[in-house]
Amino acid sequence: MRAWLYLIAAGVAGAVVTTPALAVFFLFGGSFDDALFAALTTLMLVAGLAVVTMRDIIRCGLAMIVCFLALAGIYVVVGAPLVAAAQVLVYVGAISVLVLFAIMLTQSKAGPSRLVFQTQRAPAAIAALVLAVVVGLAAISTDWGELGQRVRLGTEVVARVLFDEYVLAFEVVGVLLLAAVVGGVFLAKREEGPR
Amino acid sequence: MGLADSLDAYLVVAGLLFAIGTFGFLARRNAISMLMSIELMLNAVNLAIVAFGSFVESLRADGSVIAIMVMAVAAAEATVGLALVIAIYRNRKTPLVDEYDAMRQ
Repeated sequence: MRAWLYLIAAGVAGAVVTTPALAVFFLFGGSFDDALFAALTTLMLVAGLAVVTMRDIIRCGLAMIVCFLALAGIYVVVGAPLVAAAQVLVYVGAISVLVLFAIMLTQSKAGPSRLVFQTQRAPAAIAALVLAVVVGLAAISTDWGELGQRVRLGTEVVARVLFDEYVLAFEVVGVLLLAAVVGGVFLAKREEGPR
Repeated sequence: MGLADSLDAYLVVAGLLFAIGTFGFLARRNAISMLMSIELMLNAVNLAIVAFGSFVESLRADGSVIAIMVMAVAAAEATVGLALVIAIYRNRKTPLVDEYDAMRQ
């Protein structure tokens, strides 16, 4: 019985994701890239909403993985395949696993997990809506000047800039990551016991 | 139609994702949920940076480089943040932020 419910839910989710893409492709005469963009955007936003609204925090973590994967697809569409690869490696591979581990370490059956939201959820929703509308209006109404064509950036071009102009920032990020690793191990280490 | 060829579409999507993350950060009770919402907000900003890098001629490769730097910093932030949550959980036995009231008493 549960299996049928899951199948129906999966079908509904698939329809929600593919409908905008099909509408863009057939009704509005968009290109294949437009349809891909619509599908990935819908998937990303639905998964993002699931992250902040679902009750079971494990499912929130899994929805976050879906959201990051769809975002990697959007990076490919916009023409940054190296960033997409880094997104999959860093977010889907590392940060999601870290978050899932932290969830499993801090889950307690005894705690009151019925209340997912704070008491200020209604003002928070209003603030988020206002923020979305303001940012969207600002982005649409601003004249960005001369915009070039969307180009696919090869790895070689990015690497030349990264190791030429930005080499100092690259090294500093390395030091920052080392400091973060040491700090994380120190904070999460158990206090008791002989050192 | 050119949805994928307009900078505005990417920026609006980034704004929507940022707003979703803001809602999650303000409304969730669980500390790890708040950290996940912060990750969503960082990803929204990254999307805007990459979109600018792809469409503005003078920012061609810089957008990708800055986005990768932001990813590294976000990884560092997630490490320290989750370690903090685990350390607090070990003391207080709860991941819910509205029960962290030791400094109020």
